Amino acid sequence: MKLVIRDLSKTYPNGTQALRDVSLDVPQGMYGLLGPNGAGKSTLMRIIATLQEADEGSIRLGDIDVLRQKAEVRKTLGYLPQSFGFHANVKAERLLEHFAVLKGIVEPGARRLVVESLLRRTNLWEVRRQQVGTFSGGMRQRFGVAVALLGNPRLIIVDEPTAGLDPAERVRFLNLLSEIGEDSVVLLSTHIVEDVEELCTRMAIIDRGEILFAAEPPRAIEELRGRIWRRTVSRDELPSLERELPVISTKLLAGRNIIHLYAEASPGADFEPVEPDLKDVYFSVMTGHHGRRAAGVEAAS
Amino acid sequence: MRFREVFRYEVEYRFRSASTWIYAGILFLLALWMFLATADAGAGANINSAERLARVSVLVGTFAMLVTAAIFGDAAVRDVQAGMDPLLFTSRLRKAEYLGGRYLASLAVNALVLLAIPLGLFAATMLARSPKTVGSFRFAAYLQSFTLLSLPNLVVAGAILFTIGMLVGQVIPVYLGAIGIVIGTIVGLNYPDAITIPILAQLADPSGLGTLHDLTRYWTESERNLRLMGFPAPMLWNRVVWLAFATVLPALLLRRFRFAHPDVEGGRRTARQGSVDPGPSRAEPVVCTVPRIAGSFELRTRVLQTLAVARTTFEDVTRARAFIVALLVAMGLTLLWGWNVGDTLFDTSVWPVTHLVAGEAVSGRNTPIIYLLITIYTGEMVWRDRDARLAEIADAAPVPEGALLAGRLLALVAIIAAFQAVYLTAGVLIQTLQGYYHLELGLYLKILFGLNLANYVLFAVLALTIHVLVNHKYLGHIVALMAFGSTAALPALGLVQHHLLLYGTDPGWTYSDMNGFGPFVAPFVWFKLYWAAWALLLLVIAQLFWVRGREPGLRRRFAIAGARLGGSTARVAGLAIGLILALGGFIFYNTNVLNDYRRRPGVPQAEYEKRYKKFEGPPQPMIVSADLRIEIYPSEPAVDLAGSYRLVNQSDQAIDSVHLFTVEGIETRSVVFDRPSKLVLVDDELQYRIYALERPLAPGDSLQLSFDVAFRPRGFPNSRSQTDMVGNGAHFDRRWLPIIGYQSVFELTDEEARTRLGLAPRPPMPKPDAAGARGRREYLSDADRVQLKAVIGTAADQIAITPGVLRRSWTENGRRYFQYETEKPESFGGLMLSGRYAMLEDRWQDLPLRIFHHPAHAFNLDRMVRSMKASLEYYTVHFGPYPDSHLRIVEVPRYDQGGSAHPNTIVFSEDNFLTRVDGDEFDMAFFGTSHEVAHAWWGGQVRGATGVRGEGLHESLANYSAMMVTETTYGLEAARRVYAYQMDRYLSRRAEMGRDVPLLEVEDQPWIAYGKGAVAMYLLRDYIGAEAVNRALRGYLEKYRDAKPPYPTSLDLYAELRAVTPDSLQTLLSDLFEHVTLWEVEARRARVEPAGTGEYVVTLDVVAKKLRADSVGHETELPMDDLIEVGVFPAGSGAGLGEPLYLERRRIKGGAQTIRITVPREPGRAGIDPYHKLIDRHGEDNVVAVESAATAAPLDRQ
Repeated sequence: MKLVIRDLSKTYPNGTQALRDVSLDVPQGMYGLLGPNGAGKSTLMRIIATLQEADEGSIRLGDIDVLRQKAEVRKTLGYLPQSFGFHANVKAERLLEHFAVLKGIVEPGARRLVVESLLRRTNLWEVRRQQVGTFSGGMRQRFGVAVALLGNPRLIIVDEPTAGLDPAERVRFLNLLSEIGEDSVVLLSTHIVEDVEELCTRMAIIDRGEILFAAEPPRAIEELRGRIWRRTVSRDELPSLERELPVISTKLLAGRNIIHLYAEASPGADFEPVEPDLKDVYFSVMTGHHGRRAAGVEAAS
Repeated sequence: MRFREVFRYEVEYRFRSASTWIYAGILFLLALWMFLATADAGAGANINSAERLARVSVLVGTFAMLVTAAIFGDAAVRDVQAGMDPLLFTSRLRKAEYLGGRYLASLAVNALVLLAIPLGLFAATMLARSPKTVGSFRFAAYLQSFTLLSLPNLVVAGAILFTIGMLVGQVIPVYLGAIGIVIGTIVGLNYPDAITIPILAQLADPSGLGTLHDLTRYWTESERNLRLMGFPAPMLWNRVVWLAFATVLPALLLRRFRFAHPDVEGGRRTARQGSVDPGPSRAEPVVCTVPRIAGSFELRTRVLQTLAVARTTFEDVTRARAFIVALLVAMGLTLLWGWNVGDTLFDTSVWPVTHLVAGEAVSGRNTPIIYLLITIYTGEMVWRDRDARLAEIADAAPVPEGALLAGRLLALVAIIAAFQAVYLTAGVLIQTLQGYYHLELGLYLKILFGLNLANYVLFAVLALTIHVLVNHKYLGHIVALMAFGSTAALPALGLVQHHLLLYGTDPGWTYSDMNGFGPFVAPFVWFKLYWAAWALLLLVIAQLFWVRGREPGLRRRFAIAGARLGGSTARVAGLAIGLILALGGFIFYNTNVLNDYRRRPGVPQAEYEKRYKKFEGPPQPMIVSADLRIEIYPSEPAVDLAGSYRLVNQSDQAIDSVHLFTVEGIETRSVVFDRPSKLVLVDDELQYRIYALERPLAPGDSLQLSFDVAFRPRGFPNSRSQTDMVGNGAHFDRRWLPIIGYQSVFELTDEEARTRLGLAPRPPMPKPDAAGARGRREYLSDADRVQLKAVIGTAADQIAITPGVLRRSWTENGRRYFQYETEKPESFGGLMLSGRYAMLEDRWQDLPLRIFHHPAHAFNLDRMVRSMKASLEYYTVHFGPYPDSHLRIVEVPRYDQGGSAHPNTIVFSEDNFLTRVDGDEFDMAFFGTSHEVAHAWWGGQVRGATGVRGEGLHESLANYSAMMVTETTYGLEAARRVYAYQMDRYLSRRAEMGRDVPLLEVEDQPWIAYGKGAVAMYLLRDYIGAEAVNRALRGYLEKYRDAKPPYPTSLDLYAELRAVTPDSLQTLLSDLFEHVTLWEVEARRARVEPAGTGEYVVTLDVVAKKLRADSVGHETELPMDDLIEVGVFPAGSGAGLGEPLYLERRRIKGGAQTIRITVPREPGRAGIDPYHKLIDRHGEDNVVAVESAATAAPLDRQ
């Protein structure tokens, strides 16, 4: 089972091109889709989740044509949208039972079993008699996962699930995801690099509708080894340095600016080499020093 | 500054959204529509008279309440719904700025939208079909109705709805509030007398419509055309009161409203109660595996999914507090405006029998509410997942669109059923609380859960489809309601009549206790099945366009719909289309092939006149005796009518041909003359035949005509199923028998239709003294007095009746036969009745009295018997002996209301058997019986010429007779109540109908013949005494008892009245009978001073005026010198005046004058014409309170 996306394009009626020629191979396991806000992540995920139409291209999940056989996709889909709500005045257990029926789990015994284990799994068992409307953000998010996991989905799409979660909550949530992601295709979109770093076996970076880079995180980091350099600069130096040197990120630490540079060789004595992390990969790609954008620049020049 | 920003932002937001403009467009069309749809009702007055513009404005404004709810509701709840409230509420914005800016901006926008109404009305005057009824354009008429009615109503409604929305933070309560306002207005108009003090009633009327009605109630046609509404004081005060209310309300809102986070449940603004998250407290990972159970997707799953959707949707709706409120409101409103269900029917109260309560109080009158609720709840259901932001999760679930849709529909049906249950409860409450305990639960179920539920579910499907297609909640509401409105408006406009083209409609039904749903069942069921097939197709369409995911664009929606169409969906669509064609074809065969369907009636009548009017002149033989053999088959239903006429040439010339005509629906099987004849003309279309006699019929000579005809209705028509030949209570008359010669009574009378069909206008009815106009006194010209023998066969459990004496009855072949005979030649109405009757027998002196009635209708039998006896007593003593050997009353189903009198037989509709005396109403069962006995009594002895003006006077005679019997039995006060009723009937109907003629020339205007006739006769009796009036009537009777042509007319009766009236009152007599006369007397002021001798001197200032009106209401003032009652009464309160201290007729001249009266005790009230006996449109200003001179004019003393 593998999700194969080919040449997917989508333009909104107001002219915004949300996706252009997106091609991705998403195997089983956790797949991170990294990109800034407005990059097209949600559009891509909704198209896979059968909620939006693509202009061009194809998506296949195993032998299912995702764009046409929507009903088939839905039978094996778990989807957690970026933002969602629930009918506020319904008890958690009741609502989950309802969704279980909607997901086709109609045998009462099986349904009870699944609902109970999912509620326990997401640590909501104790609050199962409470109305969903009273849940906190993290509880609601976990409840969303419980809904997404109903019906043993083989394709799980989670759109920015960690946004707004407190650190402890985020950890728990990611753990939950990684456990279930073992034998399904799990597509996780986020703009938080750490999410991908900690969880995903594969990743892609998307910006302005384009896939800029796709790789396995360790390998991507490996590729950058020896190319990232660091220097602490004063605020006055910063603008000219940014203009003259390939700066990929700037960080303010205790009143000093720490800049990261991308360079094949040492850019100068005052720069020290850094052990790259996934953030450096992300920023290198986004600033056009690495990945498809860099290739495009090279091709153009 | 911030206020201005809030205001501007809101206005801009509103103007940018398309819905604002669509609302305006809809109101424009609605105004246009309603104006044209009701254009014919005014009968005469200009359709754009100021009064009518105002009235239609308010009516459209009532519908516009929905727009107001949408605009103000949205303004009130938008921030909370969009989650913007935390940003706004924590800004520097002050409450007053926020609320004020929002409210005033919505008001401004809505006022602009409301301008569409006058624009629509104006456009309608341009489009009016008959331009001659359009008066000149007057800007002031539009301006006044907009500023005085529409705008203040908007301010009030907006304030209420905005307050609700802001306090509750939800949309549905806002809509419920809007419904409440609409209904409050209607209820207020329904109970105009609930508040007895007129000024308070006027002030309490929120719409201004009642006030407008009060102001213009007795306006005649010319007044309506000429007068502007102006800015009359009562109207201004009403508006001031309500605008004050509208300003107090926002002030209250300002106090109550808090910038706070709303509670999740809506309703209360208490702090949200959160849940404690059990998650993070546990450090160790949870050891629990989730069983891997995948969904199964079979038919069973789909069914269970559908039920799950239905269940959660239903729970979602019913758990909300708004639902309970809606149920309670529905209950309360049903009680409120169903309470008087018996009062509005037939001029008096009837018992709240189940079919009235179930069919009227909880169905017909609730129609607007239930359709509104369905619309709103459908909208909520279509939008429920999206509103909860759950749509993306739900849409991605493996549920077919069909299940999502069907589940919601099921939930809707359950909700509608819940409302029906509430209605049923309310209906039972109405009945039991009024002391009526014959609760027919089966009938309730049939009407509420059968007929009505079918209609509501069909509409629910339509509303669901519209909401899906429109994909905009508020717009969807309006489009759905427009769709509902159009099924009523299109036929009213004459655009679409066939129920095959009007979604969900049917030919209608009337329930009768005697006959159940009778002939209405079959067409109802077929039409509903047909529309159910359409509903199925609509569901398929809704399924195709069901919004799932985020693709609102039209092109995409069509693409998705195309992709969804296939397999089972396409098969269902095919099935639906097949059913539509099959059922539609079957219905079409019934309505248009087996029955005659014409969008515009009148064509055969016009053809009849065009082809055969030329034969009206030459004489035809007259029927002198008839021998009938009628076979009634109630269960078929069908009738065979066989028999023979003896025809005599009563003219002075030989007759060479006989013209035979049968009405539509009667098939002729054989016609045989007893002398050689030849059929020279057969017109099968109009059923007209001419037989040429080989040997002409000489004057005085006779011939025998034998015939065999039948009435066998086939299939069902598009509207008005025949209700004469029914299973129980069949009733029909002469018209189903062959008719000899051309009959002008069958000609088309509607002048507009005549013009359309190329006929010349009908000549005016001849005046009573016109030459040659007095030769006919019966409805049909082919018979005058006929000796009748009839054998009527009917089902074994029924009794058949026809006027005459029952000679014998027997059973034969499982059928029952009755042989009747007239004792002498009688008026030949040919009335035949058959039903499962119970019979009550009684006697007056030696005369047998019988009432044949539906066994369950025993409420009024004693009162009817008492009335028969009292009437026979009074008429015999004062007019002369009763001309027949027996008298009977027979009940017929309620398809036609009222009663009719035939020789020795009176027919009453069911409703007359259900009347009751409620409060201070007069006893209608008694009065009605007395009226009909008078007809039987008078009509049996002296009958005036028909087809001339003044022919309606026999109704005045019957009403006068009945009033005298009422007075004798119940006393003067009861007669006064009848009098007041007749007076109001005359004055308000003359204004409505826009036509008035002198009593002596009355044609078929019942408000003149019954209303004014009773007033004039009874007033005359008040002046000259009953003895004198009765002497005149006795004289009339003796003179014309056995009159031959020319028959007497109104002038002959009038001559008798003149003869008994003293010279001093001849002017009054002439004012009452020969002209249309209106008095306007008014007591301005009354003062009292002690006369010193223990007596009191009252000084009464009065103003008097006498007016003469022409037929359309132009009035000219007359010199006046009339004897009019002046009265002084003791102090007291309430409606009654009490025992008068002084009451005498005084000569009153036109203009202002002062009257001095000395009374023995201290007076409280004084007035002129205190009992409102004169024909005066303002009876309420006839009496004033007496002021003591000391307080009234303290300056005089000093």
